[in-house]
Amino acid sequence: MSEKKLKYVGTRPIRHDGVDKVLGKANFGADLNLPGMLHGKILRSPHAHAKIISINTAKAEALDGVLAVITGDDFPPPPSGKGSVEGPQDFGDMARNVMAREKALYTGHAIAAVAATTTRIAEIALKAIEVEYEVLEPVMTLERALAPDAPILHEEMRAKGEEPLPEGPTNVATRTVMGFGDVDEGFSSADVVVEREFTTETVHQGYIEPHAVVARSISDGRAEVYCCTQGQFMVRKYCSKVLDMDPTQIKVTASEIGGGFGGKTVVYAEPVSIVLARKSGRPVKIVMSREEVFIATGPTSGSHIRVKIGVKNDGTITAADATLNYEAGAFKGSPVMAGMMTIFSPYRMDHVRIEGFDVVVNKPKVAAYRAPGAPMAAFATEGVMDELASQLGMDPVDLRLVNAVKEGDTAAYGPKFKVHGFIDTLQAVKNHPHYKAPLGPNQGRGIACGFWFNAGMQSSANVILNEDGNATVVTGNPDIGGSRTSMALMAAEELGIPVDKIRPVVADTESVGYSDLTGGSRVTFATGMAVVEAAKDVVRQLRERAAQTWDVSVDDVEWRDGHAVAMNGHADDHEPLSVAALAGSAAKTGGPISGRASLNARGPGPGFATHICDVEVDKETGRVSVLRYTAVQDVGRAIHPSYVEGQMQGGAVQGIGWALNEAYMYDEKGKLQNPSFLDYRMPVASDMPMIDTVIVEVPNPTHPYGVRGVGETPIVPPLPAVAHAVNQATGVRFRSLPISPPRVLAALDD
Amino acid sequence: MAIVVLPPALRAAVEGSERVQVKAENIRELMSTLRERFPLLEETLDAGPAVSIDGEIIADPFLEKLEPDSEVHFLPQIGGG
Amino acid sequence: MPLENEGEDWRMLDAQYISPRSVAEAVEALKGGGKDAMVLAGGTDLLVQARTGLRDPRLYVDLKRIPDLMALDISSKGLHLGASVPAAQIFENEDMKALYPGLTEAVDLIGSTQIQGRATVGGNLCNGSPAADTVPSLLVLEAICVIAGSEGERRVPASEFTTGPGETVLRPGEFLVRIEIPAPSKGAADAYLRFIPRTEMDIAVVGAAVSLTLDSSGCCEAASVALGAVAPTAILVEGAASALIGSTLDEAALERAGSAAYEAAQPIDDKRGTAEYRRRVASVLTQRSARMAAERARGRN
Repeated sequence: MSEKKLKYVGTRPIRHDGVDKVLGKANFGADLNLPGMLHGKILRSPHAHAKIISINTAKAEALDGVLAVITGDDFPPPPSGKGSVEGPQDFGDMARNVMAREKALYTGHAIAAVAATTTRIAEIALKAIEVEYEVLEPVMTLERALAPDAPILHEEMRAKGEEPLPEGPTNVATRTVMGFGDVDEGFSSADVVVEREFTTETVHQGYIEPHAVVARSISDGRAEVYCCTQGQFMVRKYCSKVLDMDPTQIKVTASEIGGGFGGKTVVYAEPVSIVLARKSGRPVKIVMSREEVFIATGPTSGSHIRVKIGVKNDGTITAADATLNYEAGAFKGSPVMAGMMTIFSPYRMDHVRIEGFDVVVNKPKVAAYRAPGAPMAAFATEGVMDELASQLGMDPVDLRLVNAVKEGDTAAYGPKFKVHGFIDTLQAVKNHPHYKAPLGPNQGRGIACGFWFNAGMQSSANVILNEDGNATVVTGNPDIGGSRTSMALMAAEELGIPVDKIRPVVADTESVGYSDLTGGSRVTFATGMAVVEAAKDVVRQLRERAAQTWDVSVDDVEWRDGHAVAMNGHADDHEPLSVAALAGSAAKTGGPISGRASLNARGPGPGFATHICDVEVDKETGRVSVLRYTAVQDVGRAIHPSYVEGQMQGGAVQGIGWALNEAYMYDEKGKLQNPSFLDYRMPVASDMPMIDTVIVEVPNPTHPYGVRGVGETPIVPPLPAVAHAVNQATGVRFRSLPISPPRVLAALDD
Repeated sequence: MAIVVLPPALRAAVEGSERVQVKAENIRELMSTLRERFPLLEETLDAGPAVSIDGEIIADPFLEKLEPDSEVHFLPQIGGG
Repeated sequence: MPLENEGEDWRMLDAQYISPRSVAEAVEALKGGGKDAMVLAGGTDLLVQARTGLRDPRLYVDLKRIPDLMALDISSKGLHLGASVPAAQIFENEDMKALYPGLTEAVDLIGSTQIQGRATVGGNLCNGSPAADTVPSLLVLEAICVIAGSEGERRVPASEFTTGPGETVLRPGEFLVRIEIPAPSKGAADAYLRFIPRTEMDIAVVGAAVSLTLDSSGCCEAASVALGAVAPTAILVEGAASALIGSTLDEAALERAGSAAYEAAQPIDDKRGTAEYRRRVASVLTQRSARMAAERARGRN
C-alpha cells in the first residue's frame, strides 16, 4: 500500500469519453458501415422445442439482392472432446446456440441466416426459407423439467453428480453438494428453525444497446470483426472455437458499449456474420432488434430455492441447509454453483449443507448477469434471516452482526475469508440517519446483505510516453463503467502527469496483449494493476534517463510528482527534470519511452454490501413505490468515486426492477409474451428515488491502491431488501418475485 | 504439509476423508502428488478446477507457493458478469 | 470510418412520402395511393409498427402540414382540436388545463418528452388501442369526430369511433380532421387516472375518466364515466354515472360507482394484468377519478 497522499486517485474528473458520448459522436456497435456492406438477418425458430427435419434455402438464394444464405451446415462440426470446454463455457453447446443443428431448443433459436443488399430484402429472404419442424412439447418450468415424464432436451444428458447416476437421460445437467459439519446436529441445538421456499423468474440484463456486429472476411482466410462486446479477446477466442480458426486469424475491435451487465460475455451474431461475410465475399452487418435481444440472448436463471436456518435465542446460527434449482436455459451451465457458493457466505456457521441442480429448459441459454447466481440466493437466505430476526425480536442488523463473517472465518463454501469490510457496512447502516427515519402509514423498511467474490484474471497494459510529455494508456478492456478514466487516474498518480493529459485507449486484439473480458468486477482491480505496473516501468526508465543526463547513479534519482529529482547530495547540482523535458530529450538518451505489463491478477478481495430500502404500498392497487434507498458497500478504495457510486446505484436499480416488475412471461407454447421494454417492465428513471450511497473503504492489501471489485455486489441485496420493506408495510412475506401489483393485491386479500 | 479440503462429492476418491495432508511446495507438486495417491481424482484435476489457497481464489493455479500449513480447497470455476 | 451506406437500414426508405397542404389534397393523395397508403400524423405508433413489420405502407400521407389539422381553437362553443396538434401544444395550453383538466392530463400521459412533440390525440384515437389514454376522456366529454373522405365530411361521436382493437369507423381513404368538444357547463369538471406498474413509458392497465357537473349545493347533476383497457374498446359505464347523479359524491355513492365499474369491465387476462385485477383497479380508479373531478367541480361553483 502506498502511504503517500494521493493527488489524482480518489478525485472525480470528467470521463475522457464523456463529451463524445453526450454529443452522440461516440461509435457504438451499429455505427460502422463499410463499402459494399451487406445486411444480415437471422431466421429464428418459432417453436420452443422442435426437431429440425429439413431446411430449404433455394427460394431465398434465388432472390435478387441476396448474396448468401447459411444454415448449421455452413459451420464446422460443433467442438467436442479435449479443448471443447473451458471453465464454465462448453464450446460445443455454444456452437449449437449460435446456429441450431439437430434441434431448436427455444423460441428465437437461430436456424439460418441471410446476407442481402438491404435489410428489407434480407427479411423477405428469411420468409422464403422453408423449414420443416417436428414440434415437441416445450419444457418451460423447473417443475416440468424435473417431472419423471418430462420431455428431454438433450438425449445424452445424465445428471452428473446424482447418486446413483440415472440410467436414462434427464434435464438435470449436474447435481452438486457442498458443505461441512453435521447439519442434523446443528439444527438439534437450535432454539428457532425457519425453513422456506423462494422462487424468482427469468430476467434480462436489459442493456440499452442491442448486439451489433460488422464482419469482414479477408482473402487469406482472416476475419475482422467490429462489435459491441464486453471483451474483444473473448470474441476472438469464442469465434475461433466455433469456427475452427486460429485466434491469430481473427482481429476484433470493440465498439463503445451501451451496457452489458454480463450479457455481452458470449457470442451470438459474431460467428454468423463471419460465415456470411466469407460466403458472400462482402462485409456483413448484423444488428439485433430489441425483440431478438429478449428472445435470443442470455437472460439469467429463473430459480427455486429452499433454505433452512437454525439459530440460538441470542441469534447465533447453529446450522444452515439449502437446495437450489436454477434454470440454465437450453444448454447446461446456469450460475447455480455461484448461487451455492454465495448463499450462506456472509455468515459464520459450523454446520452447513448446500445442494444445487443445474436444469435445462426450453428458454434461451442463460448468460452472466451481474454477480451471476447470487441475487436469488441472497433473496432466499436474507428472507429467512429477516423472519428469524422478527421471531427472535431482534433488530435485523443486530442479527447479522452476531453472525457476520470476519477475516479468518471460514466461508460456507470452504475457504477462509481475507480482510473485508462487511461488519463496517452493517455498522454504517446502523448509524445512518436513514435507518432511524420515521415511516408513514403503508410504508415499510427492509435491510439485506450481499456478497460477491470478485475476479482478478489476465490483463495487459501499455503506457506510452509521448514527445509532449503526455501519456497514452492502452488496455484491452471495453469501458463500460468509466474504466478509461480510472485507468488514467492510476497512471496519473504513478507518473505525476495530470489526468486530463493522459489519453486512455481501448485497443483491438492486435494492438495490446491478451486481456480477459470486462466483467467479474475485475477491470479497475486487475487491469488497473497492469496499468500501475506499466506506469512504474515508465518511471523506472525516466529515472534512468535522468541519471544518464546528470551522470549519477539511478539510485540517486527519485520520481516525485512528475519530476526526476536528484538525491543523496546531488540535489544542489541539478534542477529537477520534468517528465516533459525527459520525454523531449528521449531521442538523445536512448529512444522512445514506453512501459508494459501483462499479468494474472491475484487476490481481488471479497465484496460485501448492506442496503436499506423504504417502500410505500398502495393497498387498493397493490402498487409498490420505492421511497428511499441507501446502498452501503465496502469498495476497498474508490479510484473515481462517481463511477463507484454509479455502480452501486445501477446495481441497486437493476435489483429493484428484478424484485418489483421484471419477469419473462411465456405462453403455454413457449413463446415470450413480453419481448419489449414496454411489457418487460424495467424501472424508468421516474420510478426511482435518488439512490443514496455510502462508500466504505477497507483497502484490499493485494492491490497497489487498495481496490476491490465494485460492480456486481450491489445487485445482490436489493431483491430481499425490497421484499422485507414490503413485508413491513403490509405484513405479508413475499417469497416469489416479482412483487408486482396483481400479486400484492391478491396476497393482501388472503 | 499442506491440507487439502475436499467437498462431499470428492471424498469417495480419497477414501472418505474430508482433509488430506500433502507434502508440496507449490500447487504443481500438490496436484501431481494427489494424482499419484488418488487416481480417482484424475477426472476432477483434469477439468482444471479453481483452487483457493488460504482463502485466495485462483482460477488457473500452477506454481503458487504453499506454506507448510496452507489450506487448499478445490472449487468450481465460476463466471462473473 | 467510411460512412458509405449502400444498403439502407430503414425499410421506410423504399416507400413514398407526400405532404399535402389541404384536406382536399390529402383526400386526393389517399385516393391515389389506394390500400397501400396510410396517413402519418405523429407517427409514434405507425413508424414503430412499420419498423417491426406489423404494417407496410408504400405511401405515407403526412397530415402535419394541413392548417385545419394543426389548429387548436377554444371558443364559447367549445374546443376544436385539430387531429394533428402535438400533445405538448395541448397540455401546455392554459385554457385546456382550466377547461378540460382531465383530458389535458390524459394527453400529458402519452409518451416521453420527445414523443410528445409529435404525438397527437387524433392518432391516439385512430390507432384504435383499447388502452389509449385520451379516449376515455373524449368519451366522457361527448367529443364528436369530424372525418374527411372522398365522399365529403361526416361526424361520428367518439363513443362510436372505435369498433374493436385496432379498428375504427374510418373507411378506406378517410381520415380524422378534428375533434369537437362542447364547452363545459357551470360546475362541470373532468378527471382521468390510469394505472401502470411504473410511473411513465407504459401502457394503461386500466384507465378511468370521469366528468361531472355539481350544482351550487354540491349535488351531482350530471355525470359520465368511461373506462379504458378493460374491454375491446374504451367503454362508457352508465351504471357508474347513475350511481353518482343525484348524490353529493359521498363515500357510499363512490363505492356504488366503483362497483358498477367493476361489473361493467370485461377485461382479459394478459401480460399487463389479470382480468380480476383489472376489474378491481377499474373500481378503485373510478372512485379516485370521481373524487378528483368533484374536487375540481366544487372549485368552479
